[in-house]
Amino acid sequence: MWEVMFWPILACILLPWLLVYLGLHVVQRGIIFIDIAMAQMAALGICVAVLFRLELESWTTFAIALAFTLVGAAIFSVTGKRTSQIPQEAVIGISYVVAAAAAVLLLSRAAEGDEEIKNMLVGNILLVTPREVWERFALFVAVGIFHFLFRRNFLLVSFDRDGAYQKGLRVRWWDFLFYAVFGLVVTSFVRIAGVLLVFSYLIVPAVCGINLAQRTSNRLLIGWFIGLLGGIAGLLLSYWWDLPSGAAIVCTFGALLILISLYALWQGRRAHSVAVQGPQ
Amino acid sequence: MKKIFLLLPVIVTCSFSAQAKLNVVATLPDFGSFAREIGGDKVNVAVLAKPTEDPHFVDARPSFVVSLRNADVLIDGGAELELGWLPPLLQNARNPKIEVGKPGRIQASQGIRLMNVPANVTRAAGDVHALGNPHFTVDPIIAKAIAQHIAQSFSALDPPNAAFYQANYQKFETTINAKLQEWGAALLPFHGQHVVAYHDSWPYFAHRFGLNIDIFLEPKPGIPPSPSHLTEVIAQMKAQHIKAIIVEPFHDRRIAEKVASSTGAKVVEFSQFPGGLPGTDNYVKLIDTLVSRLAAALK
Repeated sequence: MWEVMFWPILACILLPWLLVYLGLHVVQRGIIFIDIAMAQMAALGICVAVLFRLELESWTTFAIALAFTLVGAAIFSVTGKRTSQIPQEAVIGISYVVAAAAAVLLLSRAAEGDEEIKNMLVGNILLVTPREVWERFALFVAVGIFHFLFRRNFLLVSFDRDGAYQKGLRVRWWDFLFYAVFGLVVTSFVRIAGVLLVFSYLIVPAVCGINLAQRTSNRLLIGWFIGLLGGIAGLLLSYWWDLPSGAAIVCTFGALLILISLYALWQGRRAHSVAVQGPQ
Repeated sequence: MKKIFLLLPVIVTCSFSAQAKLNVVATLPDFGSFAREIGGDKVNVAVLAKPTEDPHFVDARPSFVVSLRNADVLIDGGAELELGWLPPLLQNARNPKIEVGKPGRIQASQGIRLMNVPANVTRAAGDVHALGNPHFTVDPIIAKAIAQHIAQSFSALDPPNAAFYQANYQKFETTINAKLQEWGAALLPFHGQHVVAYHDSWPYFAHRFGLNIDIFLEPKPGIPPSPSHLTEVIAQMKAQHIKAIIVEPFHDRRIAEKVASSTGAKVVEFSQFPGGLPGTDNYVKLIDTLVSRLAAALK
């Protein structure tokens, strides 16, 4: 088993911590589908590269994909107004569908190449190579350090926007930085794990953490634990029952979330009944 | 210490029996079917893709890597049909026995002249099937050549059973030769007729049986049909009185139905792979089914 599952398991240990942390931001901001929109933006950039017949592995292609991600970051930071009739999620949804449809249009003019685009969005965690794992780990450590250095501002902008404005923070600018770095992380992880898995890693551990704890640091710790547990358990199940690995991890996360929600509900009921009856 | 010595014969027998039966992995069900015809009970055959799956996109599972790791022989198309999913699997399996050029690697397209090879291999011509159309096994004469290739490779890897493999090949060849007469006769009345297909998977079949399967619902391989293209196809079908549209299990049948309803043609479900249609558990039964279905639709 180890020779097949070693690198996937290592990837699920070394990489998700950053996604779980970013997920707390994303859930707090209420922009759940931002990751899919960002990934689709990058995919659109790749489509443009395909249209100009560039090599997919080249730096030019990477630069174009990055540029599209930055455009996405700019759109989301400009539209994330302090008070607006239009929810941010609507803009995200629109960006996603337009980017996806534009990719279809571009590819209908390009000769084939659609397989690569599909591969971009359906990466397979089972087949990660050591190089892919280490490259992403290095990137994630760099992004982690960046976020750690500016954690006050990033946290303030995500968790207390009014406070951030009052403090005179350039909220739009910090939003842009957040989205740009986020886009880089998501795009690089999607390539090896696929959209479904990225989404699960961002959202499920964060929601579990919010269900069980109040303080951000505790939520993060719970999220990390859930992320590790779900990833490794999902991979093992996928091996024992011979299931597609990414989907197995996602469903394991789903099951974990149900268990934790039931537990939180039960805890809440108990706390409530204790409060009603008063201490005996 | 004693226990180890007790275990030793078990280990030796295990590895010996593994030697005795060749572990064959086939990327696609058609190659798996040939391997079973030739190998019989002297080989274990594992097929990666399911017959109803699109051979361009196959979802990898952990058992794929395990099978490839333990394989003595890998049979693949060798014409980039599996380009999207086989290379990363092989990279993960790291099995030197089945590397390209080793006796354990059978590339079915070797020695076969592929059709529709793009004139210039640039992105514009399509990078996916630069070697030519990879859907060649549905031509029974090519199937014979692949079966012979497999028999030779099995014989080289497992000399004690060489006569067995050769005899099985002879049997397969005889069957195909007899069947070719039958199939040719069944489709002869429709010689030169045009047939529409969803995807360009049938040039070899068409060539063998004197049909023209050269109009496709897809404007380009892998690109979903667009309205203007479908309008054009419908006009062509009406002008040439085309009676059949071939779809495969993984294609969107509704598009074919729509075109069929506005042209009076019939939708015929085809499969390149044994097992892709009911009652087609081997190659000969598959071609039997394709021929009879098409003949019924063209009547």
